[in-house]
Amino acid sequence: MARNPIRDQVAIVGIGSTGFSRDAGGRSSKALACEASIRAIRDAGFEASDIDGIVGAAEPGGPSPNQMSAALGLPQVTHFASPSPVAVFALVDAINAIFSGACDTLLLYFAYQRLPWNSRSAAGDPFRRHFSMGVTPLPESPDPAAAYAAWASRYIHEYDAPREDFGRVALNSRAGAARNPLAAMQAPLSMDDYLQARMIREPLCMLDMDVPVDGADAFVLTTTERARKLTPNPVVIHAASVGLVGTNDEDQLPSLRRHGQHVVVESLRAKSDLWIQDVDVFFPYDGFTIITLGWIENFGWCKPGGAGRFLEEHWDDKAGCAMIEGRVPINPHGGSLSEGATRGSGHLREAVVQLRGDAGERQVANASSALIGCGGFFFNSQGAILRRL
Amino acid sequence: MSERIDDAALVERFSYIRIDHDTKHLYRGWLEERLLINRCDDCARFHHPPKPICPSCWSSSLTPTQVSGRGVIHLTILLHQGPPAPDVDYAKGPHPVVSIELEEQEALRFTSTVIDCPLEDVRIGLPVELAWIDRFGAPFPVFRPRETS
Repeated sequence: MARNPIRDQVAIVGIGSTGFSRDAGGRSSKALACEASIRAIRDAGFEASDIDGIVGAAEPGGPSPNQMSAALGLPQVTHFASPSPVAVFALVDAINAIFSGACDTLLLYFAYQRLPWNSRSAAGDPFRRHFSMGVTPLPESPDPAAAYAAWASRYIHEYDAPREDFGRVALNSRAGAARNPLAAMQAPLSMDDYLQARMIREPLCMLDMDVPVDGADAFVLTTTERARKLTPNPVVIHAASVGLVGTNDEDQLPSLRRHGQHVVVESLRAKSDLWIQDVDVFFPYDGFTIITLGWIENFGWCKPGGAGRFLEEHWDDKAGCAMIEGRVPINPHGGSLSEGATRGSGHLREAVVQLRGDAGERQVANASSALIGCGGFFFNSQGAILRRL
Repeated sequence: MSERIDDAALVERFSYIRIDHDTKHLYRGWLEERLLINRCDDCARFHHPPKPICPSCWSSSLTPTQVSGRGVIHLTILLHQGPPAPDVDYAKGPHPVVSIELEEQEALRFTSTVIDCPLEDVRIGLPVELAWIDRFGAPFPVFRPRETS
């Protein structure tokens, strides 16, 4: 076993979400983050004076931790930080801060807003006009979004993968979203719909990409010791990891068989008492469908190139989604593809909801552990294992 | 390395690209229609995109070195929509974006577009060679299919 002294030592005791939509109307990103934060703090049974740490990630123009602290009137904070987006960076910072004693009870928030360059309606919002990408990228820029399409081409080439392999990821997420009141995209989706969707960055189409949304998620974390005074069975972080390989420039990755996801998987496996045969619910990130296929393979559910067939073999026709071994659902909340582009905070929230037994019609019976593979291939690969004590 | 135009003029010439001290040699090369890839003077390894040191041996003695421009397509995208450029018209059809594995070194890649190539031929494994087009009044490196004997 690798060194993991933080194992089970920090708990998530509060959650709050605004839900997600293509347009939250006349509300700022900060307003949404405040709503989610107040819900999370109240859900934990705390008040402003209980919070002494604040960590958050927001899209450009979103609130910084000091702005959130001011808005929420937190009297005194001894740890605050704003890690890069994609949720587990912030989660890792939060648990390390609590475990180290930098703070005791921490608010972790994520705020999302559609930006003028990824949403036509956002481009029409006068209050979002000042957001700028700076220099307009070249069509040939290997930026992360385009690079997922590029590596999808490689995946198709190396494994002779049909488009349906990618489509099953989209269908799985949409089926979950239909059972999640917080989700932005709930209209039924068929494989024909997927195959006929507009190509954007071929081989990836409109339905291979997550959907930009307005909304916010928030969490309250504290020591497991304190959490046990609130509930006998708190949800704790069992292990968490982020991972990089040296050559992580988008177009220079060594191969589909060696990138950040592999580092995360090796690290998590070495730190965790639980592995894929033990977990009750699985959250492979789905910012792009190719990322999900990667996580399924790299966690070892199947061999490289086999994720599409794996989904097909474990497909529950009645539920319209995958159910591994008839038991383990994948992104039952609808993921980034259909709940909304939460950069993984939705996956983290649903893990907590499932482990608390509060998922309603999505609930996995007696769920006691969850596996999250967050982020993609290049410079935001990360993962976490949560369990209920 | 030619320093015929100063840094301010270089930035002016490529106002559509974010250039810094680590990448300026690459773009000076473009003005002479030469594709210059950083090569380590100590261990002879190439790397791209340009970094201030050699990631293999940490030497800061690097020479932007002209490469042959020959390689094969390693990754492909057909952009049906995307950022604007004067030579790109998405209304006329998708714009190909290709990452070329250069013949000088395994997994050394350069990403651009491919010209003089029907879209159905834009596929992984296609041998290509360097070509130059004009973009915003300056040379821009692209690739075209290469005859192989």
